[in-house]
Order: sequence, then structure tokens, then C-alpha cells
Amino acid sequence: MLRLESVSYRYAGAERASLRDIDLRLEYGEVLGVVGASEAGKTTLCLVASGLAPRAIRGTLTGRLLIDGIDVAGQRMHELTALVGVCFQDPATQLSGVNATVFEEVAFGPMNLGLPVEEVVERTTDSLAALRIGHLSERDPARLSGGQMQLVAIGGLLAMRPAHLVLDEPTAQLDPAGTSLVADALARLASGGSSILIAEQKTDLLARICDRVVALDHGGLRLSGQSRAVLADPSLQALGVEEPSIVRLRRLASEAGEDPARLEEEAP
Amino acid sequence: MARSGQPISEAAPLSGRLPTFLGNPGPSAFHRLNPLTKLVLATVTAVAAVVLGGIVGPAVLLLIAVAIPAAGAGVLGRLLRTSLLLSLPIAISALLVNLFFFPGGRDVLFQIGPITATREGLVFALEILARILAISGGITLFYLTTSPQALVTDLERRGVSPRLAFVASASVQTVPAMVERASTIVAAQRARGLDTEGGVVRRLRGLVPIVAPVIMGSIAEVEERSMALEARGFTRPGRRTLLWAPADTPVQRLARWLLIFCLAGLIVARSAGVLGPLP
Amino acid sequence: MESLVHVYRPSAVRALDGLDLSVGPGERVALVGQNGSGKTTLVRHLNGLLRPTTGRVLVDGVDAAGLRVAQLARRIGLVFQDPDRQIFAGSVRSEVEFGPRNLSMSEAERLVAVEEALAAVDLAGEADTNPYDLGASRRKLLALASVLAMRTPVLVLDEPTTGQDLRGVARVREVIESAHAAGRTVIAISHDMRFVAEMFERVVVLRAGRVILDGQPAEVFAKDSWPSLESTFLEAPLAARVGARLGIGSTPTDASLIAALASG
Repeated sequence: MLRLESVSYRYAGAERASLRDIDLRLEYGEVLGVVGASEAGKTTLCLVASGLAPRAIRGTLTGRLLIDGIDVAGQRMHELTALVGVCFQDPATQLSGVNATVFEEVAFGPMNLGLPVEEVVERTTDSLAALRIGHLSERDPARLSGGQMQLVAIGGLLAMRPAHLVLDEPTAQLDPAGTSLVADALARLASGGSSILIAEQKTDLLARICDRVVALDHGGLRLSGQSRAVLADPSLQALGVEEPSIVRLRRLASEAGEDPARLEEEAP
Repeated sequence: MARSGQPISEAAPLSGRLPTFLGNPGPSAFHRLNPLTKLVLATVTAVAAVVLGGIVGPAVLLLIAVAIPAAGAGVLGRLLRTSLLLSLPIAISALLVNLFFFPGGRDVLFQIGPITATREGLVFALEILARILAISGGITLFYLTTSPQALVTDLERRGVSPRLAFVASASVQTVPAMVERASTIVAAQRARGLDTEGGVVRRLRGLVPIVAPVIMGSIAEVEERSMALEARGFTRPGRRTLLWAPADTPVQRLARWLLIFCLAGLIVARSAGVLGPLP
Repeated sequence: MESLVHVYRPSAVRALDGLDLSVGPGERVALVGQNGSGKTTLVRHLNGLLRPTTGRVLVDGVDAAGLRVAQLARRIGLVFQDPDRQIFAGSVRSEVEFGPRNLSMSEAERLVAVEEALAAVDLAGEADTNPYDLGASRRKLLALASVLAMRTPVLVLDEPTTGQDLRGVARVREVIESAHAAGRTVIAISHDMRFVAEMFERVVVLRAGRVILDGQPAEVFAKDSWPSLESTFLEAPLAARVGARLGIGSTPTDASLIAALASG
């Protein structure tokens, strides 16, 4: 279980805190969605939850990040990789850029951990299989489509066998084909029992994969609850978050005096 | 050169279960030489060409250490194109400056208006040209026959810090991305009416809107990349696992030391004045 | 005002493959298709950043080949997808002033154009802010404003809603509506099918450098077109799919679906 306890974070040089007094829990086997307007603190939350802030990004953290009940404040980044893996928007900068094949790119993390060759190979093969990208093994990562690159980046994380995954808008820069490629893979991971914290603008995707959703606004937690309830919350739009398509259609139908149940069958 | 790692004299793979496509060195015997051997050959060729001077020395080096191996590796055509492109700007300016303005040139070849081309200038220019060609040829041959990953892996196996090796390799491999970014930026600013097709002053004024986003973008990208690397355990101290390493052999080790020894001898001989100037 | 844009058989690395398209003045046209289908290549031909290998690009009936990019920039305002590949100035205002200055706009006109553009994207209050202190969404709006201020008769937007939050998308919609009301031509590349269906009267679907569909949203997102859309991994908006399932005609937008429900 990953837990943020009264967490605030202020970037070095910033006047205001980007996160304020956040309490958040990610249980094992749970997919937790994070929504919020631009600059609401989604990326900062991902940085803090993954341990990158303040380890790789300078700033001041108050409150605690607990993983399996243990405060990880004293641990270095490479010690956290087995606990939490993190992936960002831009597929190109997620890849190391030094590996000639997808296989080696996915193996890069386990290699860094100094694991025995047999284990590196096993983890890499498993991770490629979990995302169904084994057929890309021999390809040059730099010559893949955006969606494929993002899958390779996620594959590289899975090979670290992290107990939790943190994903910051993993489909934001992908075209429709790339988005559905990544969304399908995430849906499989989610139903396979992975623990995932995912920040997203695309609420249709969240509606498909999340158990719970929280909404951020100006660095603070505004809504928190079951995915269905939060994504249908009337205050969502005021927070700068788009409703899922089906929620919007249902609302518009009721407003027009029509029976929203007629639309229901199409719900994801 | 740090040599702390266990010598691996056999080619990859280190394990029978590894996919066979890893570490494919390339089509020829020269490609399959250890990256360090090729690197030493390139460096010794370049330095020796400078130390030897004259025309004959660099020309012989060019033939033996660059042209023949390149032909053997089947990259002679690409080598000619790339190394000529690399050296052409310097070569032309060196030729023009020395041909016409070589101090103390007496033997006049021809005159264009007030400037005079001298034979001494021509010879000196040719000497410079020979060195430039040997240097660029040696480096290009190395570049064309060695994958950056093979070099990095080999250096890492020999105990060079993986971070250092990574920085070296990443800086080479991000060049295409940099170029792509810069060209998008140029396009974006031209779309906003920046006239890059005008005179010198106009072009200079147009540099800020192009250079600033390139720099800011690079900084942001480096930051993102370093976070992604940290998240994958790259900053963990201690040895990394290597899946494969380029083959090395005792013969190659001996050859490298011989090359370095010969170069050292050459430098000593030249600085002691034992070896007279070659033609 | 005439702003006819015509691209005829350019084939730069076959990114565009014998493509014919003409856009009339005041039209709102959405270009959709996968990455690599030629959308970006196409719009870069409009203002001369790319020149056709073969074929012609006509702007207002004049062959663009005879015009420099800086001249075409007066007619065609192109907003790139990634704002960080254009933002360079120390303040929001001077970033927006860059285009108008390049076009040698008079100072009086420039002041008005800059103020209007900043107001259009709700950045008037941030005129003296350093662009790098804005979040990604507002930087993107800033890039939009910097081209709006050039007051070009044609506005071309490359993925204007990507990476935008709800408020940002609302701003983009307002900008398109007021540009349309002012008679400007708007061409946009987008992956967001709902945005496309609701904001544009014409949708052009590209695949491998060719036009495979071209028509009103109700035509392009009608059930008959789905196989073509799916061939390039596109999916009609939810409203269109619901409408088709309920058998109440082609309803590409939420509004058209609700209206059809009400009448049916």
C-alpha cells in the first residue's frame, strides 16, 4: 500500500506550494485515478508519490510518503524502484536513448539493479509478454510509433517489478491508435491486479479502468471516492475536468427531459 | 585506460538463454573488432598524421589505416562521402589561405589581381590537407563500423563508470533529436513571420527566437530524461549487469599496445629530432 | 475576402500522395488521421514551410511557390502543436508582439491586436508574466494568442486541444467561434472527435497522404463511414455511436443526439 500523509510540496524557488495537505491511499490491486485542471498539481502528485520529488526535483516536502507502512524519506531513488515505478507523458524522454533494441531497453532497469543475467532475461520476457509487445523485441526503440514507445517505457517499468505504478498522463501525447494501444494494455494490467495511480485528463479512459478517483484543485484534494460517483459528480466541471462522454450524454438527456436509460447500453 | 573488469575473451552471449539478436556487431571482420581496438587505431592514425607531417606520411597512413580497412569492411563509399563532407570546409579555407597568403612564399605559380599564389603555399596547404584527411578518415571509419552501444558496453565492462559512458553515448544519440527540435522551432518562428531569408543583420536578429527555445527545450528534456533514468535505478552505485559485451582477443590487446607504443616512439623520435622532416 | 487554399499533388517523401483539397473563405475544416497520415505535412505546405515536390499550392489563387514564408505569414497563421518550440520571450506580451512586429504592423494596430489576442485566451492579466511560469495549458494558449495577434485571414491550428484541460479547450472553442464570426478561415488538425464534430462544418480524413473522407460531420461520422474511419484507427464520437445504435440517424454531436431523441 502506498500512502501520502498530510503531504505538501513546494518547488525550489516557487512562491506557493504545488500540493497542499494531501492524504491519499493506493491499496494493492487498486487503480486510482487523479483528475484536475492544468496546474492543479497532478504531475507534482505523481512526482511525490514516486519519490522523484524531492530526490530528483528540488523542493520542500512536508508530510510523509509511506509504502507498506514504512516512511521512505531516508531511502535513495534506486532503493525505491522495487516499490514504485513512474512513467510520464512524453514517450521519447522516457526511453534511455542508448539501447539498440526494445529488448535491451526493457532490460535496462533490471541491468541497473545488477541482477543476474537469467533474472534480467526472465523479467524482460515477462514484461514484454504482459504488454504483448514481444514481437517488437528486436526493433530499434527510436523507430517505434508513439504508442509503441510508451508501451516500451511502461514495459521498462514493469521489468523493475514495482509494487505500485505511477503514471502521469501516459496517453496525453499519443494519437487515437496509440491511445487505444496503451489504454488496452492499462486495462489488462488493472484487471490483472496491478496497483496503479494514474493522472489523466481523459476521463473516458479513467471510467474504464479506475476503482477510485480523486480530484485535485489548486494543489488540494477536492473529491475522493468510487470512480463512478466522482466521475459523475456535478462539481467536476467547475474543477476544470471534463465529464466522461457517457456521463455528459446522460446529463444532457435528463436535462432535455429524456430518459437517460435509453443511452445506457453504450456505457463502458 | 581502466581495466578492472574480468577479461571476456569470448564473444557474447554470456548466457545461453539470451536472444540471439543482441549485440550484433555488423557484417565484416573489421566491424567485429573490439571497439577499443578501432578507437585506438583511429586515435593513433590521427595523432601520427599530425606528428609525421609532410604529405607522404599521412598519405601512407590514410591508405593503410583507413582506406584498406574501409574497403575490407565494405564502407569505402560512405567513408569517402562522410569524411569529405566533414573536412571540406576546413580543407577549402586552408587551401585558399595558404595558397595565396603563405608568408615567405617566393615561387610564384600564378596571380589574380593583387594576390599571388605561391608554390610554397601550395605545398603547405597540401600538407595540411593530408593531415585533415587522415584525421577525418580515421574518425569516420571508427564511427561507421562501431555502434555507440558496443563502445559503451565495452568501456563499461572495462570499469569505466556507466554514467560517464552513458553521457558520452547519449550526447551522440540525441543529436538527431536536437536537430529535429531546432528545425521545428525554425519552422514555428518563420510561420510567425520571422524572415530568415534576408540579409546578415536580419538573420542575426532572428537568432534569439530560435536559440532560446532550443536551449530551454534541451534543459527541460535533460531534466525529464534524468528523472526517467533515476526511476529505473540508473543512479544505483555498483556494477550493472551486462547482457553481452563485444569480443576481445589477446591478439587485439597486443595490437593495441603495439600501436600505442609505436606512436609514443614516433613522438619521442620527432621531439628529439632523430627523425628528420619527411617530404 | 478571398482565401482559397489549394494543395495539388505534393509528394514530399510521399507524406502526401497526390492530394487535392480546396478550402473556401470562411470555412471551418478539421483534418483528422493518424500520426504520419500527412496532416502536419499538409499544413506546412500552406504557408510555404514545405514546398511540394510536384503539384501546386494556391493561396487566394496565387501560386505560393512565388511567395516567401514571411509573405505567406500575412495570409496564413499557423499555430504549432508544441508551444515550447516557439516561446522565447521574457514576457507574455512580448511573445505575442513578435508576430505583429515581424509583419511590420503599425504601432497602434499592434497594441490593439496584442490586447485582443491576450483577452481572447484569457491571458490579459498575465501580460507581464514570464511565459515559463505558466503551466503547459496556458503556454499553449499563449502560442495561440501569438498567432491570433497577426490577424491573418486564415488560421491553422495543429492539435489545439491536445494537453489542454477543460477550460483551455473552452478557450480554444471561443477563439474558433469568434474567428469564424469575423469571417476568417479556420483549419485545425485534431484527434478529438467530439471537438471536431462540434466545432467544424467540414471534416477531412487523411490516411497515408490521401483524403479518404471529406464531408460534414454528419456524413463523415455516419455509420456508413465507420469502416473507413476504423481503417485509420479512428472512432466516431460517442453521440454518433449511440445514435446509430438507436437507429435515429447520424447524430455526430451531443446536441443532435438529444434533439433526435426528443423528436423520436
